[in-house]
Amino acid sequence: MEEMNLKISASPHVRSKATTSDIMFDVILALVPATAFGIYQFGFSAGVLVAVCILTAVLAEMIYQKAMHKKVTIGDYSAVVTGLLLALNLPPTLPWWMAMVGTIFAIIVVKQLFGGLGQNFMNPALAGRCFLVLSFGSYMTRFVLDGVTQATPLANLRNGLPINIKDMFLGYTAGTIGETSALALLVGAAYLLIKRVISPKIPLIYIGTLAICVAIYAATKDYNVVDYTLAHLCGGGLMLGAWFMATDYVTSPITAWGKVIFGVTLGLLTFVLRIFGGTPEGVSYAIIISNLLVPLIEKVTAPKSFGYGAEVSKEEKKAAKAEAKAAKEAENAEADEKSAQIAEAENNDEKPVKKFDAKSFVNAIVVLFAITLVMGAALGVVNNVTKEPIAKTKQEAKETAYKNVFPTAAKVATSDTVDYASINDVVHQLGYPSVDIDELAVALDSSGALAGYVVTATTSEGYGGDIQVIVGVSVDGTVQGVDFLTINETVGFGLNAKEPEFKDQFVGKKVLTFEYTKTGATKDSQIDAISGATITTSAVVDAINAAVMIVNLLGGV
Amino acid sequence: MKFTFKGGIHPYEGKELTEDKEVKEYLPKGDMVYPLSQHIGAPAKPVVKKGDRVLVGQLIAEAGGFVSANIHSSVSGTVKVIENRLTSSGSKVNSIVIENDGQFESVDFAANAIDKPLEELTKEEILDAIKAAGVVGMGGAGFPTHVKLSPKEPDKIDTIIVNASECEPYLTSDYRRIMDEADKVIGGLEIVLTMFPGAKGIIGIEDNKPKAIKLLKEKLADKENIVVNALKTKYPEGAERQLIYANTGRYINSKMLPADAGCIVHNVDTVYAIYEAVREGRPLIDRLVTVSGDAIEEPTNFVVKTGTSYKELIEAAGGFKGTPEKIIAGGPMMGKAIYELDLPATKSSSAILLMSKDEVAEYEESPCIRCGRCVDVCPGRVMPNALANAVERDDIDTFMSLNGMECCECGCCSYVCPAKRHLTQTIAGARKLVLASRKK
Repeated sequence: MEEMNLKISASPHVRSKATTSDIMFDVILALVPATAFGIYQFGFSAGVLVAVCILTAVLAEMIYQKAMHKKVTIGDYSAVVTGLLLALNLPPTLPWWMAMVGTIFAIIVVKQLFGGLGQNFMNPALAGRCFLVLSFGSYMTRFVLDGVTQATPLANLRNGLPINIKDMFLGYTAGTIGETSALALLVGAAYLLIKRVISPKIPLIYIGTLAICVAIYAATKDYNVVDYTLAHLCGGGLMLGAWFMATDYVTSPITAWGKVIFGVTLGLLTFVLRIFGGTPEGVSYAIIISNLLVPLIEKVTAPKSFGYGAEVSKEEKKAAKAEAKAAKEAENAEADEKSAQIAEAENNDEKPVKKFDAKSFVNAIVVLFAITLVMGAALGVVNNVTKEPIAKTKQEAKETAYKNVFPTAAKVATSDTVDYASINDVVHQLGYPSVDIDELAVALDSSGALAGYVVTATTSEGYGGDIQVIVGVSVDGTVQGVDFLTINETVGFGLNAKEPEFKDQFVGKKVLTFEYTKTGATKDSQIDAISGATITTSAVVDAINAAVMIVNLLGGV
Repeated sequence: MKFTFKGGIHPYEGKELTEDKEVKEYLPKGDMVYPLSQHIGAPAKPVVKKGDRVLVGQLIAEAGGFVSANIHSSVSGTVKVIENRLTSSGSKVNSIVIENDGQFESVDFAANAIDKPLEELTKEEILDAIKAAGVVGMGGAGFPTHVKLSPKEPDKIDTIIVNASECEPYLTSDYRRIMDEADKVIGGLEIVLTMFPGAKGIIGIEDNKPKAIKLLKEKLADKENIVVNALKTKYPEGAERQLIYANTGRYINSKMLPADAGCIVHNVDTVYAIYEAVREGRPLIDRLVTVSGDAIEEPTNFVVKTGTSYKELIEAAGGFKGTPEKIIAGGPMMGKAIYELDLPATKSSSAILLMSKDEVAEYEESPCIRCGRCVDVCPGRVMPNALANAVERDDIDTFMSLNGMECCECGCCSYVCPAKRHLTQTIAGARKLVLASRKK
């Protein structure tokens, strides 16, 4: 026989074909429908964000591993999955560099600093998202659909505005790139289930628990139970979170019962955060909080080993119990020293094996439930306590603003019948695509006659996010006053818009459109720009122009 | 009710290579090597010396204690030397080497045959015959059969299970034994049943062998005390503890013996050997060996005389097809990779597999992604990933508290692991250390 180079290794000598990269690739494939829909719906900018996140994730992982002289493992596609999942959790309008910062945080801080693949204690993509929400709140919560800033369906639901379940299911709503279409996400989930990449246990229990809680809540509030529940299931990133993030292997329990507890915890937390929390969506936080509980959950749900009672039927258990009881009684009866000694010797014979402890299991459930309950209650209390004062303060601020911008009006009244959608259509078409009219109130003089209008308008073109302007305009088109309800511009620059030097320039002027100049105003229609804050100036001037235009249209000028 | 257990895997079976092929008897030509330790327990003591002439079936080494087994020559020839020889276990074992004269001159077996009707056989007669014949468990472990048949509390034994599941991929020797010698297999089981009055016989066989199931059911149609259970085809359906559970619903852990669940489990070839020992007076000097894999010209089942060199068997099967990258003594899940072909077939050699590709070397180990597949498939219901992690950080306390000793080293976890971690190997290593420290 010829020379051979035989390989030696311990058994087993065969391996399944599945590899880590295959699994990751399957997840990527499963996310394709949702990604494609997101890009179709939100356009080029969404595609750019997806590309930026994936590239950043892969590069960050590679550079870190090179720098730390570790093996570069980008070939397992796990960085691609993280980048893609993070992108799908971002609003399509987010500046690309913010997406980059979030991705780097996810890969470097959450994943690599804790030991890389398999060691991260929470889902890196969701941690990245939450990091961005905390850092760039206004950007992360501004959702635009078809060029219009919109609230997410769950925000509308919370504010009692109508929602369309069919649109939510198909995905024609505002939201993050990947969360809007429940249908596309379910197609991907079905693929993962068929390929057996994920088990349906966690998602189904999660969704089921949330559905039950929401339905009960809706019933107690006299809402339409079916619509309300369906809206909660289709919206708020639940499908994305439940099927693709809660099932993340690394950060979910391995044990069968652990999966059940994890699913229930997720459902309860999401319910509590959504209904009583600060934002209408709660999936991200519910998942990363539950991620932290995984080691505890796994500890108490370690499976019973074969031969340690896992297979005992109920009757056998009963019989064993009865036997044990009889034995104990017998022991008690002849409780002399000798029998005690024998018993002791017997006990020492074999070390007690750690068995599945039903008590600690129940304890864990109780503890987890209690944590959830306390957290929910705390959030609820804070919300309730602060709700009224906040509303009151807001109302007062508004009243003051009315006074400021229309000093001559005796009364300012609002109406429910104004069709803002049509008004905004007009505004957008007449040259102010980034301005939305939020409120059109009527200013009345002391005799009750129409004196003018108070217009509240939001522009999304501010340097630091949305700027909400309130403008008083008399019937003849003269600006009575200008004030700001929301402004997050840079102190010393854009924030100077609040100074009288700037905002009083508009007062008393009757022009069709204002324009700003940097060389000193020479005409009524010219406004001196805020020094060093052209973007703010331009945004504010646009908003005021839109307000004046609306009044002029109403007044028939 | 489906006869099965929770967990397990479905690897490529590879049984079609040999299952329908005629079994060939192979007559060895070269020197024969008889390791004195081819069973669990004390090594046998040689009763021949260098230069002695021996015949087929002659005792050459006697049991070295109660838990030990006799060893007989399977050829006629001269004792060449008694020295350490490499075995497929990987270690060198003191062995009797016999120069085969090619005559196959035999002792008279019939003189020892017991020709009484079943009901007149006594327990002692049977045990003596089995002991004399040196029968050991032929499924792999090689536990002396007469010890297994002498439980502490014989009255509690109510079930005798014949393990015909043959769940290891590629192996078809048990299947061929049933197809060719069903009467003797059943006869062997009946002999064992006479030792435990009132006990029920079960032949547990995976349902991927429908012909064998049909054959056995036909033969057993009029026998009330033996049933055939078609088990779900799944590895490791034939693992002793899982097999007992699948057939009886009883469970034992690693600290217990099958007798604690009222069961005795025998391999197909073992009950066949029991029949031959009792009815024909034949010692255990040959067995069925599957020579298979994708790197052998003609995969075949051979009747192999113990002591035959693997080299001769491979040549008998037409030699290599291409260049094998890995050769395995036993099945692909639990067998041992060998690096040398001049090894003797022993009483527990079930197969020689020649693989053109080593699937283990194909992959590189990567970090655990906690997918949980190992936990899902583990028939012992431990958490292989957690056990391996504990071992890797030398945390034997955690290893023990996670019931690490319950691992039966079946290999399912390593098989399914997408990260290709060497889970079974890591856990098995720790088990060996723990067992060794207990012996001290």
